[in-house]
Amino acid sequence: MTDYGHDLLFGSFVTPGAQDPRKAVDLAITADKAGLDLVTFQDHPYQPGFLDTWTLLSYAAARTQRIRLSGNVLSLPLRPPAVLARAAASLDVLSGGRIELGLGAGAFWDGIAAMGGRRLSPGQGVDALAEGIGIIRDLWDVDARGRVDHDGEYYTVKGAKRGPRPAHDIGIWIGAYKKRMLALTGALGDGWLPSMDYLPKGPDSLPEMNARIDEAATEAGRQPSDVRRLMNFMRAGEDSDQWAEYLAGLALDHGISAFIVGGDDHATTERLAAEVAPAVRELVARERGRTAPAT
Amino acid sequence: MADEWGIELSLAEPGTLAALAERAEAGGLDVVVLKDEDNGLDPWTTAAWLAGRTESIQIAIPRETGETHKKVSPAMAEKALDSLALLAGTRLITTALDAEIAPATTLDDVDRLIEKAGDRDRSRRPAAVRALRRDGIDYDDIPASLRKTAIEPGDPGYRGVRSTYLRGGSPGLVLRPANPAEVADALSFARRHRHVPLGIRSAGHGVSGRSTNDGGLVIDVSAMNEITVLDEHQRLVRIGPGATWKQVAAALDEHGWALGSGDYGGVGVGGLATAGGIGLLSRQHGLTIDRLRAVELTTADGTHVRASAQENPDLFWAVRGAGANFGVATAFEFEVEETDKVGWAQLVLVSPDIEQTLVEFGEVARAADRDTTVFLVTGPPRQGQSVVQLYGLVDNPDPEIVVERLTPFAQTGLLAQQQVVLTSYAQVMAEAADVGPNGHHGRGEPVTRSAFLPVLTPEFAQDAARLLRTGQVYFFQLRHMGGAIADTPAGETAFTHRTPEFQVTAMGGDRAALNNAWDRLAHHFDGLYLSFETDTRPERLTDAFPPPVLERLRGLKNDYDPTNLFRDNFNVKPREI
Repeated sequence: MTDYGHDLLFGSFVTPGAQDPRKAVDLAITADKAGLDLVTFQDHPYQPGFLDTWTLLSYAAARTQRIRLSGNVLSLPLRPPAVLARAAASLDVLSGGRIELGLGAGAFWDGIAAMGGRRLSPGQGVDALAEGIGIIRDLWDVDARGRVDHDGEYYTVKGAKRGPRPAHDIGIWIGAYKKRMLALTGALGDGWLPSMDYLPKGPDSLPEMNARIDEAATEAGRQPSDVRRLMNFMRAGEDSDQWAEYLAGLALDHGISAFIVGGDDHATTERLAAEVAPAVRELVARERGRTAPAT
Repeated sequence: MADEWGIELSLAEPGTLAALAERAEAGGLDVVVLKDEDNGLDPWTTAAWLAGRTESIQIAIPRETGETHKKVSPAMAEKALDSLALLAGTRLITTALDAEIAPATTLDDVDRLIEKAGDRDRSRRPAAVRALRRDGIDYDDIPASLRKTAIEPGDPGYRGVRSTYLRGGSPGLVLRPANPAEVADALSFARRHRHVPLGIRSAGHGVSGRSTNDGGLVIDVSAMNEITVLDEHQRLVRIGPGATWKQVAAALDEHGWALGSGDYGGVGVGGLATAGGIGLLSRQHGLTIDRLRAVELTTADGTHVRASAQENPDLFWAVRGAGANFGVATAFEFEVEETDKVGWAQLVLVSPDIEQTLVEFGEVARAADRDTTVFLVTGPPRQGQSVVQLYGLVDNPDPEIVVERLTPFAQTGLLAQQQVVLTSYAQVMAEAADVGPNGHHGRGEPVTRSAFLPVLTPEFAQDAARLLRTGQVYFFQLRHMGGAIADTPAGETAFTHRTPEFQVTAMGGDRAALNNAWDRLAHHFDGLYLSFETDTRPERLTDAFPPPVLERLRGLKNDYDPTNLFRDNFNVKPREI
């Protein structure tokens, strides 16, 4: 039994389709109005049928009122850290602190190379991500003195000015599956953001993967609970009650505290907010022995 | 005085951005300029966010921001720009501004500028749209009749019209005439723009026909898509050039009629009916052009002419095979055939010996009844095995006959999959997917070759197998000809290759390599079908039109298009007087 004690978040996982560009925005608005906590967007810029996720995220942030937004996850090889840090901090300011930074080391290297990104081996991608996170945090740290210099293996930053100051402490949530990425998540991440469908053994993979993150966090002098465990689900469960029990189990047994659901469907988004989220919150609160936090 | 007015907002003042931009938009100002500052907000992100907070006002970001953005990569910068245009319309300006700009930090600043700007001429397109215009096109000169429907690169509908089925494009202007008078207006505009490419588009399926281009004009006749029965008894039907063959087949099916086209319902009437039309019913009813009884077109000087066996018979001859050189067809009148159920077959064979399969296919196809038409498609053999797709039509409602006709074809390899159904010709055409509002998604340029094959000999089969083994051809097709195609004498139409057994098409990825491999087969061939040929070497013209035919076409070109306005593909140059 592992429960890191985080408040529970519920969100949607939206395809940034370019065929009907307003659809992704409308889904974000629905999630906002329905009361979900998060709306997140995939990022595959080499996919001609997709919008640029950062542009969509910025536009959608302006069209929503209260929901938090994130890439799920942004492809770092196509989004250089210095540019991304300034962009994310800016949008956090503009949106009143509603931006989180889902980040990945990159996959689909042919597509990345086709869009002008640097082709790396998976191992190099992990190292580049670690460098990138360092640069992003330095640029956000406006209270530190001096400009930011970074002469790394993958990224070079010379005399970059810090800022703007983010409106809140932006979480860096990392899409990780393999051992080194999980260790990086434990050492550097504010969150772990995988997809259930891609876990090798589904929920049965969680104890081992969580342990890997916990171990790396401890080694880095952090608490395992410093890393929130989020999870994408490509599809919604059909029966809300059964699904709520399943999700509550994941929260209580494996410490999953954010449930992000795909399907690109308004009704599912509304059902998640109206039926599933309250039920999961109640089940988890009961088990944790205290009342559900007010939302 | 500048005709656009705007405010400049500092990116170091995030708190007031939205309120000031919203006020500027409400007051009718044209643009918000974002001024980059040390420690200020990211211009791109702020532009996209402000586009979400406003509806129509233009947003200008510093040109250097384009550079920052390109730090990522030019491809990513372009993707971001395209995405914002899709989400919010063409509102972003990254080029120099010709506008009256005043800095604003308070609502009063904005209001002062609104007052100063006053009422003014708003007939010009916004700067963000004008910035995407192409050189050499006089956008202010677009004929009044076409202004409303014309699409330029900054317009929301541009994505839907820029590319074609197999070709990526970025025309500078797409004109969309809806009647012959508007076609004449479009052509007069084209006459004033000879220095840019000109493409004529019906449905944009053309392989050879250049119905898109880079920075030129496209005259898109898709609005002229009416289908009207003129004479029920004679089965005479009038069809606009912008209809697709799928639409035609569906409309005719209601009367129990059919008109053969190619093999794909998404093809447009205009392009095919001016070139030939070698399709699934050709062996039974002749080429599509053989069913044509009259055609109306607007010629280069804007004259509307009608051509038939009685009126302008020379032009009628020329349009049937070389039509794209003579005008923009605005209506076709066809005599169509009665139809019944047809057998529609899609077979997949595996062949360990493609050479042998081709020989046997040739023998079976040669012996086939006129009601039976089967096309063959294959690609490079993999580990010595070729996958061969046969698809075809038996124009007979009797299932036993359908099976009897198809059986010999199915035996030319090892049958791996088969689907044979009794259906209507309209249903076969209906298998083509509809093109949505986002248009075609072609990219780059297709690389193809075409030829007529008089006889499929064992030597040809051997050379074709060798061609396939080069790996340079990913799509190799034999279109079954013969039958009624040969009933029309060669001199009757400008399409003169009446007696080949097959039309052969090859598609590849590398033009030089494909030409090199294909040219070695030249001795097997006699001429080519221009619709499927993309090689632009000059000798291709005489492959399409043998010298006497070409001579006659030149003379007519002299009469109908002496200045050679229609020149984009298989151009017949006017004979010099």
